[in-house]
Amino acid sequence: MKSKKASVKKTVKKATIKKPAKKAVIKKTAIKKTLKKPVKKASRRGPRSAAQRVTGLLVMLPWIMQRKRVKISTMAKQFGLTETELMDDIQMAAVCGVPPYSPDALIDVFMDDGMVVAEVPLVFSRPLKLSTAELFAISVMAKTALQLPGADKKGPLSTALAKIAPLMPSGAETIKVELPDAKFVKELRYAATTGERHDIEYFSPASQKRSNRVITARKVFEDSGHWYVAADDHQSGEDRIFRIDRIERLAAVGIFDVVEQIFETDPQWFASTMQQVTLRVEPEARWIVESYPYISRVTKKIKSHNVVEITMSITSEQWLGRMLLRAGNGVKVVKPVEFKNLGKLSAQKVLARYVAGGSAK
Amino acid sequence: MAIKISQAERMLNLLALLVDRNRPLTLRQIRQELGKQYPDGDEAARAAFERDKAALREMRIPIETKTLGGDAAGEVTYWVNRSNYELSDLRLSDEERIALQLAVATVHLGAQHGEEALWKLGGERAMQSTSLSVNIGLVDQNMSAITDAVMQRRTLNFEYKGEKRQVDPYGMLSRSGFWYIIGFDHLRKDKRVFRVDRIEGKVASSQTRAFKTPSGFDVAAAVPTEKQMLAAGDGEETTAIVLVDGPLVAGVRNEFGDGAVIKERANGSVEFSIPCGNLSAFRLWLFAMVESAEVLAPPRVRQQVIEWLEDLAAGKS
Repeated sequence: MKSKKASVKKTVKKATIKKPAKKAVIKKTAIKKTLKKPVKKASRRGPRSAAQRVTGLLVMLPWIMQRKRVKISTMAKQFGLTETELMDDIQMAAVCGVPPYSPDALIDVFMDDGMVVAEVPLVFSRPLKLSTAELFAISVMAKTALQLPGADKKGPLSTALAKIAPLMPSGAETIKVELPDAKFVKELRYAATTGERHDIEYFSPASQKRSNRVITARKVFEDSGHWYVAADDHQSGEDRIFRIDRIERLAAVGIFDVVEQIFETDPQWFASTMQQVTLRVEPEARWIVESYPYISRVTKKIKSHNVVEITMSITSEQWLGRMLLRAGNGVKVVKPVEFKNLGKLSAQKVLARYVAGGSAK
Repeated sequence: MAIKISQAERMLNLLALLVDRNRPLTLRQIRQELGKQYPDGDEAARAAFERDKAALREMRIPIETKTLGGDAAGEVTYWVNRSNYELSDLRLSDEERIALQLAVATVHLGAQHGEEALWKLGGERAMQSTSLSVNIGLVDQNMSAITDAVMQRRTLNFEYKGEKRQVDPYGMLSRSGFWYIIGFDHLRKDKRVFRVDRIEGKVASSQTRAFKTPSGFDVAAAVPTEKQMLAAGDGEETTAIVLVDGPLVAGVRNEFGDGAVIKERANGSVEFSIPCGNLSAFRLWLFAMVESAEVLAPPRVRQQVIEWLEDLAAGKS
């Protein structure tokens, strides 16, 4: 579930409006394509192996030696350890070193008054080389960040990347990330940092309707090739996610809400109250499984070939009708029964336009 | 008698010794130096040492070996050259570290490698959320093997569309939520594009530096865009005239440009010239507009659209 922490970042101008109480989930609003699969952070279970502890220490020791003193709580949080785990590791490292293990031959790290202290580096003062996975990650992240609207292309990120690039064995140009066009992204990102409300005109392709709403942007994010804004929608009084390329007009209204930070990494696309459907997807329509988030997935063998049954949430009947039309006979509604003929009805509706003689020039 | 010590502590002491001594040591010398940290018996000590050595190598610490000759013939010596595993000082400024920290906080890869790189570069993981984020998730089971192969120029072996492929991965591209490998396909003897999430089963990779990437190779240009996909087929008709109703005109114009406009009608609808060489891709694009778009010409494509609709409307399957 969503967790938010309020923090005032800027003096509130003009009128400050207190946020109304809202539901705890963000409701998805007219989103065509979303996360393929939720990414969950791995949680540690059971005792750590010797290799895990040593690997961790070989990263932490140079890091603390560079800083000399860091609070135990801060360092534990930084490395995703419990304070007990960190203290165990530091205590262990403190008795390690080189023979004859006299005080001056031990790794000079200890705990003092709630702090981890490392004063005179002996061994392990330099970090390990970056692995290829780490090199890949840091360079892809930096290159992607450099493409963001408002990024300083000649600033410190760019010079940092230039210093890392020679470490890439295959050269930096072999990996590229393309981001979608970003109209209004800069404005909405700024709006999220000031709390200023904006009036938007939003187009929904499923219903083919435009609506005017007043929103307070909270977070701007890109996912699967589209930009989205998570915002308070003052029309419905709920948190909603809007696809930014469907915002056709944007205007600041001069009213400021308290700035809030959204901490979750993965957006909650669906409210639990949304309608669920189960679809049987043939191999030729597998793009549905690859492109839309689903709740569950089962592979079944029917008439000697494999099909996938997925259960997913839908935003509206029109949205599902449109998807069934695009997928053609590659997908069937298994349940609920009232949607079994939806693909057929959607096709009849479009066909009516053609059989009426078409649109004369 | 051996002292009671955890494997983690012994591994750390072993590594400290090999790094500090700056000269090759035999296992006998290592046991002497480490006192009673290894078991007393030769076999048990050897087994414990081998476990430690394997675990350290797994952490990419290059423990080097040499078999001695002469009087000590057959004895093996071990050492670690610091420069082979320590990161050289990149001389990053504080501003550069902060910029990297912000990039790592903003761009989500679905793995912790970015944070680990940041720590090694002397930076810190941002503990606050940013107002902007990008998700280019690397959640596929094969992703780390593939990125390693691209970075180290290893040939990949995997199954794709039911066929065994051997591919020299020249590069990778993230576009519209998918990761692509672009490389030389030994089966087709030509350059091909593979979507990472469509690889069947696990990938296997060869030794490093197995191939050379052609000079001037452009990763992005090698993967067709959605627009190019519409044209990239062997259909007899290459373009269709599609009438798009007013509310959707702006989106289509944005996608295909003003050059695709054939006629603007008084009611706000617009006739566009749209590539349709790949009819499956064209269908997906067209039906996304439901009844707000209609193929006017050529007759063969219009008839095909009507047949698709009739099939569905009749509930044929």
